[in-house]
Amino acid sequence: MVSADRQTSSAPASRGRKHPRQQEDAQPAGSRNDVLIQMRDVVKTFKNAAGEFTALKGVDLDIHRGEFAAIVGKSGSGKSTLLNMITGIDHPTSGSVVIGGVDIYRMTESQRSLWRGQNLGIVFQFFQLLPMLTLLENVMLPMDYVGLYDFEERPKRAMALLEMVGLEKQAHTLPLAVSTGQQQAAAIARALATNPPLLVADEPTGNLDSRTSEAIIDLFDELVGDGKTIVMVTHDPSLTSRTSRTVTISDGVLISEIVARALPLLSHAQMLEVTQKFERQTFQPGEDIIRRDERVDYFFMIENGEVDVVLQGKRRDDTVLARLKPGDFFGEIELVRGGKSIANVRAAAEGPVELLALSRADFNQMLEVSPLTQEAISKVVQERLKEHKATDRRKKWRLFG
Amino acid sequence: MKPRWRKVLLDLIENKGRTLLVVLSIFVGVFSIGVIAGAYVIIANDMSASYAANQPANLELRMEDFDEDILTTVRNTREIGEAEARRVFNIRVRTPDSDQWSTLDIIAMDDFQANQVNLLTPMRGSTNPGKNEVLLEREALEDLKVDVGGNLVFELPDGTTKTLPVVGIVQDPTTGADDFLAPPYGYIAMDTLPTLRMPGTFNRIYATVSENGDDLAHIRTVGTDLKDKLEKAGTPVIRTRFSKSHEHPLAATVNAILGILLALGVLIVFLSSSLIANTLSALLNQHLRHIGVIKLVGGRNRQVLAMYLTLIMAFGVLALIPAVLLGGQGAYGLAAFIASQLSFNLLGYRIVPLAFGIQIAVGLLVPLVSGLAPVISGSRVTVLRAISGELALDESQDGDEDARVASPKSESRWERFQTRVTNALAKRGIHIPRPLLISLRNTFRRRGRLALTLFTLTMGGAIFIAVFNVRVTLFDYIGAIGRYFLADVTVDFDQPYRIHEVQQFAAQVPGVQAVEGWQFVGTELLYPDGTVAENMNLLAPPAESKLVNPILVEGRWILPSDVRKLAISEAVYDPFPDLRAGDNLRLKINGLEEDWQVVGIFKFVGQEGILAYAPYEYVSVANNLTNRAYTYRIVLDRHDRPYQDQMAEVFDRYFRDNGFKVRQARAGLASLDVAADSLGILVTFLMIMALLTASVGSMGLTGTMGMNVLERTREIGIMRAIGAGNKVIMRTVIAEGVVIGLISFGLAILLSIPFTYLLSTIVSLAVFETPIQVVFTPIGYLIWLGLVLALSAFASLLPARNAARLTIREVLAYE
Repeated sequence: MVSADRQTSSAPASRGRKHPRQQEDAQPAGSRNDVLIQMRDVVKTFKNAAGEFTALKGVDLDIHRGEFAAIVGKSGSGKSTLLNMITGIDHPTSGSVVIGGVDIYRMTESQRSLWRGQNLGIVFQFFQLLPMLTLLENVMLPMDYVGLYDFEERPKRAMALLEMVGLEKQAHTLPLAVSTGQQQAAAIARALATNPPLLVADEPTGNLDSRTSEAIIDLFDELVGDGKTIVMVTHDPSLTSRTSRTVTISDGVLISEIVARALPLLSHAQMLEVTQKFERQTFQPGEDIIRRDERVDYFFMIENGEVDVVLQGKRRDDTVLARLKPGDFFGEIELVRGGKSIANVRAAAEGPVELLALSRADFNQMLEVSPLTQEAISKVVQERLKEHKATDRRKKWRLFG
Repeated sequence: MKPRWRKVLLDLIENKGRTLLVVLSIFVGVFSIGVIAGAYVIIANDMSASYAANQPANLELRMEDFDEDILTTVRNTREIGEAEARRVFNIRVRTPDSDQWSTLDIIAMDDFQANQVNLLTPMRGSTNPGKNEVLLEREALEDLKVDVGGNLVFELPDGTTKTLPVVGIVQDPTTGADDFLAPPYGYIAMDTLPTLRMPGTFNRIYATVSENGDDLAHIRTVGTDLKDKLEKAGTPVIRTRFSKSHEHPLAATVNAILGILLALGVLIVFLSSSLIANTLSALLNQHLRHIGVIKLVGGRNRQVLAMYLTLIMAFGVLALIPAVLLGGQGAYGLAAFIASQLSFNLLGYRIVPLAFGIQIAVGLLVPLVSGLAPVISGSRVTVLRAISGELALDESQDGDEDARVASPKSESRWERFQTRVTNALAKRGIHIPRPLLISLRNTFRRRGRLALTLFTLTMGGAIFIAVFNVRVTLFDYIGAIGRYFLADVTVDFDQPYRIHEVQQFAAQVPGVQAVEGWQFVGTELLYPDGTVAENMNLLAPPAESKLVNPILVEGRWILPSDVRKLAISEAVYDPFPDLRAGDNLRLKINGLEEDWQVVGIFKFVGQEGILAYAPYEYVSVANNLTNRAYTYRIVLDRHDRPYQDQMAEVFDRYFRDNGFKVRQARAGLASLDVAADSLGILVTFLMIMALLTASVGSMGLTGTMGMNVLERTREIGIMRAIGAGNKVIMRTVIAEGVVIGLISFGLAILLSIPFTYLLSTIVSLAVFETPIQVVFTPIGYLIWLGLVLALSAFASLLPARNAARLTIREVLAYE
């Protein structure tokens, strides 16, 4: 059986190095309870002469400390609006945004600026360095604004940050006199000036060539390694492969990350449709989800917990064919092939499992509108069947031999 | 409406703040020039017209007491048109509920109904006082809190008082029109004179000439002939005064002052034009993208040019409408104010066509001229440059935007200089906080705009400071005139008393330090042909007197041994421009013509006619009044005005109580204070103009800061994004304004020096007819420093508040 993880990593768009934590586990790096950003039911509606437009439609999102999260979505999907909600740059129409335990929209704009300076570093697509200040002065500026570090210490700290991004020789140069890559590196140094726990980057490589982009993302990797949390808006799929988490937004709604991970070949609109159609099911440890030789009517994606795919012998001894983890799916063989279940699937004994279940009709419709997904799932079905047969033969051989 | 004209219309109404700024910039200049030009024309016309309308006397003869026969003689003179006799005397009055005495010149007339010369203009109540009733000239109301129906207490020569009712208020634009130091007038009928213990005879004749009323030479000849005739008939003429029918005696002075105001008005137009150029240049910069799009869809340079020139014309028209309406009102208001100060009437509210024309020309042409350069360069911009997003680039960063993004550019020399200076300071341990650094460097980013802003603010400041210096210069000069009034109290008697006797009496009064007896002789200065050139007051203090400390222009001061020698005031240059010390002058003293030698010429102002000093030692002998004097100068132990006033009262009562016939006792500083008040009016005008220029300067700064903030919206968003709160943003913007203000202050200090000299010279020539010593005062500098800091902060406050209110989303969306 092929895991969904491997499916994802072999997707054509997923090139480049994978984030270490992503390779280890689909769980966020921080502990589940160590939520840094908590968005609840965030709605943002813009009004203009043409009428109203809702850019965010009740977004719930948790980002944990130490995560390197990418927010992806098509142009106009609401990703920048979502980022603006996190940075406190814009106000939600309703809902709350709590960062580090602080509800940032209970502050005035001015208080929020100060809070932002202390807790948040922002990296913009167009770097946004102040043109009249040298790179060193640009990096010192946030320290001046929030009054962090002794006055005498600020130049030293700024220089250290510029050294970290390799710009010590250009420290006394104005932004216009350095390359765009260097400007972005300086902007990152500035974002780190007050040592904030959270870095927010809006298309940080959108204006850079690929070599410079790579260097910037390497830098982000190091920062995450040092314990920073990074939230980055990007439309570059090569970057999402480097992050620990990808939050996909479409039409103002967050797509289930499980759906996005399990069915990466769906378009964002299709992912959204699936997100809106699935139902959540919870199974207790050891509880059967699918029984062999029974009809299967759902396509399951694991959200939390683990399941075991089990072949049961005549002596009722179990052979675990595979242990599936969050982001993996099952039930597709029976839905694609027809007929009854060829194995038992049950919640792992270690804990309950939360599943996203898509009905047969919705699953079929999904395959109809996404031939690429149909093809990918067919391949999975083939491979899983092949593995099932091999295991089944070995089991029979053991029984009779 | 064609789309392009619709765009012009929308440009006009969409950005109301910008439109308001441009319109206001044009308005200030057009309004100022309209007010000043209008007032100039109105005053130039009405001052003399109003003066002429009151039938001013061409001749004023001050004489010994005379009766109707003399008047008939005058009336029968062929060259005389109208003639009236009056009795004029000085008296002290107060209101019944006040202890404060004021001095009035009372004019007693025979028949108010038949008044033909120096007409009175009715204001309130009656114009025909009956027996024991009094009319007051309106200026008298400044000192006396009384009106029609009230009473005045008159102090009679014997020290008793008499109360008379005030039955009317009038205006007398002609009597004493050339002497703004003269006391105000009251008017009574001749039959009231006995009540005031005055003889029922006349002492003055006011007459007009029958023809050539504007020919001063003719008037002088007629006057001199008449004087000779009267003196031959046994009536000495003490003093004569000649004036034209259609020219106010102060017209030249007022016109000179208006000329200064006009020059300042032109300057304001000039300053406002730089403000307009600044704003339009910023507007065109903001519209580059629009221009690019217009050209992209087929618009030609000519069409773009026409669109923006129309926009400028529209700004001009919008400014013109209120400027013309309010300018007319302002012109009349200013003229009315000047008229009220100089006691003449205007001929009624009207639009002055010349001022109207100037306003239209200035309102349309100045914006066109100021905006032409930015509009032409804007219309010539290439499509690529216009739509490449190169909207807010610094002047130092011109060039192709794409190229700038793609490859680094080298820093300009100015930028390198800035960073080097900052680094050098940092090495010496002087670290400038970055927010302040932003303000400082932002100041110099738009150097063209900065130059224009500095120009307006510096000019405003320099004029403001110069006006303060001129004010001090004028008052210093007036103060210097005090060197001729060093006595604390002057007591005039109706008859001469022995100096020794008066000194003995005065010594009894506590506080008296010294007493000097002076002689006074009213004389006439004659031209070589024998006609009267000017009246002259000849004062005769002891030659060694410490109570005169003259400012000599030429020659020496008087000596006890001088015989028929005098020192004369600079005013003598008017009739005798080439006079030098050592020259002789022909005087008429007590009916006799004598030649006197001028030993010195000194500076002096504020007295009607010419002033001269001769030694008491000679004059007393010549007048046969040895050791006696009419007038006494008393020096006290303190020299402040309230003490002088108080002691004048004391001496008045003291000498009367001791049987002396006191005419009046005055504080030594009284004349000076009146002169200072008169100069105060002039200084007020100058100050108004200075404030107007300063306000244009501050408007320029507001506009500049507004434009700067608008162009740096994105940067302000960045600052907010990295932790700058409202206060920090506001501080950054305000600090930039204050830096500009401080630079302009430094420049204004330098520029104020030539301005002070220029303005002082013009004003002193207009008022004193002589250049005066320029004095500098720190007050103007300090006030301007405070004002420019406050103005800069205030001018930046609105843009700063706007900047602080911008949300980051808005500012980043601006990109």
